[in-house]
This record gives sequence, structure tokens and C-alpha cells, in this order.
Amino acid sequence: MTNGDYYQLLKLLAPEWTVVGTVLAILFADLQFWRNRSVAWRSAGAASILSLGFAAAAGLLIWKRAVTADLLGGTLVLSPTSQYVKLALLGLAIVTAWLCTEGEFTKHVGEFVALIALATAGMMFLVSTENLLMVFVALELVSLSLYVMTAFNKRSPRSAEAALKYFLFGGMAAAFTLFGFSFLYGLTGSIHLPTIAAKISWHAGDPLTLVAIVLVVAGFGFKIAAVPFHLWAPDAYEGAPAPAAAFIASGSKVASFFVLGKLLSVGLPGVGGSGAWKAFSPGWLAVVAILATASMIFGNLAALAQSSLRRLLAYSAIAHAGYALLAIIGGSQPALLYYAITYAVTSVGIFGVVAVVENRTGNEDIAGLAGLRERSFLLSVALSVFVLSLAGVPPLAGFFGKFYAFAAAAKLGSSLGYWWLVALALGASCVSLFYYLQVLKQVWVAPVPEGQGKVAGGWVVSILLALLALAVLVTGAAPELLIRFLK
Amino acid sequence: MPALTDLLFYGFAGLALLFGFLCVANPLSRNPVTSAMFLVLTICSLAGLFVLLNAFFLAAVQVLVYAGAVMVLFLFVIMLLDLKEEERRKLNKVALGAGTVAVAVIAGILIRAVTSAKPAADKLVEGTTKPLGRILFTEYLLPFEILSLLLLVAMVGVILLSKKELK
Repeated sequence: MTNGDYYQLLKLLAPEWTVVGTVLAILFADLQFWRNRSVAWRSAGAASILSLGFAAAAGLLIWKRAVTADLLGGTLVLSPTSQYVKLALLGLAIVTAWLCTEGEFTKHVGEFVALIALATAGMMFLVSTENLLMVFVALELVSLSLYVMTAFNKRSPRSAEAALKYFLFGGMAAAFTLFGFSFLYGLTGSIHLPTIAAKISWHAGDPLTLVAIVLVVAGFGFKIAAVPFHLWAPDAYEGAPAPAAAFIASGSKVASFFVLGKLLSVGLPGVGGSGAWKAFSPGWLAVVAILATASMIFGNLAALAQSSLRRLLAYSAIAHAGYALLAIIGGSQPALLYYAITYAVTSVGIFGVVAVVENRTGNEDIAGLAGLRERSFLLSVALSVFVLSLAGVPPLAGFFGKFYAFAAAAKLGSSLGYWWLVALALGASCVSLFYYLQVLKQVWVAPVPEGQGKVAGGWVVSILLALLALAVLVTGAAPELLIRFLK
Repeated sequence: MPALTDLLFYGFAGLALLFGFLCVANPLSRNPVTSAMFLVLTICSLAGLFVLLNAFFLAAVQVLVYAGAVMVLFLFVIMLLDLKEEERRKLNKVALGAGTVAVAVIAGILIRAVTSAKPAADKLVEGTTKPLGRILFTEYLLPFEILSLLLLVAMVGVILLSKKELK
């Protein structure tokens, strides 16, 4: 490497360094100037700094959106798609940071917002690499930040329990991932995905390759909360502070799905095997198909029995991980990214509503939403848009997300080999309508409880929630607007 | 007549397995401190394996950091826990059975996988500090720099989680 190479690296990574600089600015301002301010003031201040810094990073990304680069053995691979995914991650992080102004779960809100920014930096590195070492390091940066964020509410034992479960499962999953990566390295002598793809060859029933695939998919299955690696999700969603849960459900999912899709389609295209009906053969397609099946069935059935809103969202997230895996099976990156991004926008919106309602009423059950129509019209409409989008009702974004994902899986192979998976997904979506409509029933039909006043969030959060609902509506009504950036 | 390095490899590998087993399932003692000490021995055996692979720096770090610094922390944590309760705890027969079956199955798959595999032939690397330092600041510069962010997260997290919440 010459001096010019270092300079080029610095230039290409300008958005990432801006994000890291934002972290330092938040920590410095919170420590130096705001010690005697109220928590509400400090959370708004930290969120403002984060918004400004991330807007600058987003500006840099848009300015250099047509960039393509492949540096240092694939540790830094930039493409227009990766730049747009980073833009989405920055947007999700800004909304998450403003959610900290709803409810006082900690006094150290500056550090919390800084951790959001650090996790975002990790996600940005994660989506711009084709190197196993870099994938692992960036994944750990994201995970570690999220574990700490989950444990942030030190007054709540449930927060600590959730964080411990998340951390222990996460550590185990990281070990699985690393073990799988080391086998891939042992088989091919490389950690560069395209080189791995060129060198890995399929000997019929070569168990070592299969073990590597299973281990890698198991590790990522944890990140995306696919059955049977989902056990942490309901507790983490329930116990974590609302912004932490929102970020786990949104940004972390987008980055993990992107990198899992890339890993399987760029790194292991030759060892897919098949999960087609009556033509089953070992490979990652088969493994992912099993994961998708289990997630869709278990996630939807378990969600039916929930009375806590957050646990319902956790099981719904598990089911949605199953749907999104169909897009990975179909090998369609635009379908996967459209699904992941619209799902993330919807989730962060729902958690925004949850944060506001919980903060004002202290009730975490679905029944706590009773009569929301008269207590806050804006929240009711926004929540309805988000929930209907999750249920996949046209013309909202969730419908087209599912449509593209299912179509990608249906088109794969000859003679509709994956029809069984698509049929299952359609059936599971129908089941999911029941519990989504239960939520809306509370909002629009259930009687207004006695002695409950109006519910209203801060004005920034209200504007952001309205914008998110609008985004779900617009990207659903005109999916081309979003999907043309992801091709 | 096997070469000396082969003999050393089998020696260190066997010791690592033996100490590793004694670390998790010592039939003579259920004292966590004994387990920690066997972990030290396991790590030292692994360091021997690294030396055989020419990874001298890694071997030194393994002993200094893992057998030294990390184990001291382990011992501190063990001392802060209630050891008596751990020693009184009965073995859960069902969990033990399920665990044994799971480990046996995974071990079977791995043994079959590893024995049937043909690993990619790789050049012998130089594991001294100079080539390692060079590669860290050229090819692996980016992951190396990101590790510093990782340490920042760990530092912020540890301070916040361990500090007493002042009301």
C-alpha cells in the first residue's frame, strides 16, 4: 500500500468516519456541557447532534452514490446498492435516536445515543464488505452495541435478563459463525468471498462443506431471529428499552439480511443444493428452506397466543424472517432489500407508537391500546398503516415486499419446484391476519377505558412517525420508487 | 519413524484435549478454581501447537493474554461468586444425557467431515511480529481499525453497566 492508497481509503470511507465523528461529538457534548441539564434536554440534544452528523454522512453518500470500489482483498467493496442501503440505515438510526426522547429509561442518554451511532457504523461496514474477517468484526461491533443497549434500563430486572439472554445466545451464535468461517477458510484457503466461490467445489456429500454451511447459517439465523435460533427475541423485544428494541428490529435486520444474502449468493453459489419439492439435495438452499419453514409456522402460531404487544411483535418478526428468507432462496437481491428495508421502516414505526403509548399509559399489553382512536388520532392512523403493512394488505409496502419475495422463490428452478414453500408462506400470511387485526380491533373498536386521557408524543417523534407511515404508503403504492435503487 | 514435530504435535494436541476435558468435567473435583487452572494448562498446550505452526507471536500472546491476564480476571470473578452453592448443585440427569447425545452426534459429524476433507494446500506463514505487523497495517488495515471501535463499545458498555445507578 502506498500513501495514495491510504488517502483513497480515507476518502471512500468518508461517510463512516463522519458517523464515528458524530459518536465522539455526542460523548464529548454530553460529558462536557450538559452535565447539569435534565435528561429530556440531553436526549433531545444528543438526538439532534446525531441527526446533524448522520445528515452530513447521508449527504456524502448521495454525493458519491455512483461509486464502485473493491479494495484490500474485498475488505471494502462499494457499489451503488450498498450506498443506498447505508442511507436507509442512517435514516433508521435517526428515528431510533429520537425515540430516546420518549420515556426516561436511563440517565446516561448521551452514551445510549452514541451506542446507536456506533452500531450504525458497524452496520455500514457490514454492508460494504466481501471479506469474512471484516464481516465478523463488523458483526461483532453491531452485536456488542446492541447487547449494551438492551441492558441500558438498569431499574428494570427484565432489561437485565433480556440482555443476558441476548448476550449469551449471541456469543454462542458468534462462535458458530466463526467456526463455520474457519472451515470455509480451511476448504478454500481464502476469506475473500469471490475467491471462495471460485475454489469451493461440490463433492457429492462432502460433509465438511455442509458443516461449514450449517454453522454459518446457524450464526446468521440468530441475528435474523429465525427458528430454531429465535429464543432470545421475545425476551429482548419485551425487556429492552423501546429504542433498543426498535433498532434490533430494524437496522440490525437490514444489515444482517443484506450480508447473509451476499454471503450465500456471492460466496457459496456453487453449493446451493436444492430445496425443491421431491428434488431435495444438500446445500444451503435446503438449509435455508428448512429455517424459513420453521420460522413461518412457529412464528405465526406463537404470535396468536400473545397478549403483550412487544412479544407479539417479536413473534411477528420471527415469521417475517421466514418470509424474507424466501427472497434469499430466490436469489433476488432487490426483492430481499425491498423486503428488509420496508419491514425495518414499519418495525421502527410500530416501536415508536409503542414507546409513546407505554410512556404515557405504562401499559404494555395489546389491551393498553384500547380506544386509542379517541386518545390520539395520529398514532391510531400511523399504527394502523404499520400493522396492515406487516399483515401484507395492499397497497402498503408489506404487500409488495411479500409479493416480490414469494415471486422470487416461485420463479427459481424449473417447474415451480418451490411451490410448497410459497404455498406455506401464503397460508402463514393468512393466519397472521388474525393477530394483526386483533391489535387494530383494540384501537378502533374496543371501548375507551374510563379515566384515560389523551396520548401524545413529542412533536419531533410525531412528525417522524407520520413520515414513516407516509413512506410505507408511498413505497407500497409506487414500489418502483424504492426498488430501482436496489437493483 | 515419525518426525519430531509430528510427535510434538500429537503430544500437545493430546494434552490440550485431556486438560480441556478436565476443565469441564473433572471427576475428582468440582471446584471452579481447579477448572480455571486446567483451562490455563489447555491454553498453554494450544500455545505449543501455535509454535509448531510457526505462529510464534500468536503463541506468545496466547500465554501472556489468555493464560495470564484473562485467567486472572476469571479467578477474580470466581472468587466473587458463591462457590459453595455451585459445589452443592446436583447434576441434572436429563440435561447431562441430552448434552452427551448432542456432543456425540456433533463430534461424529465433525470427525467424519474432517477425516474425509482435503484441505486446501497452504503455504507456511511466517508468524513473527514483523510480517504480522506489516499485514495488519496494509491488507487488514480496515478490520484492525474497526477493532478500536469495538473496544470503545466494550469500554462504554462496561463502565455503564457496572456503575451504580445514582438516584
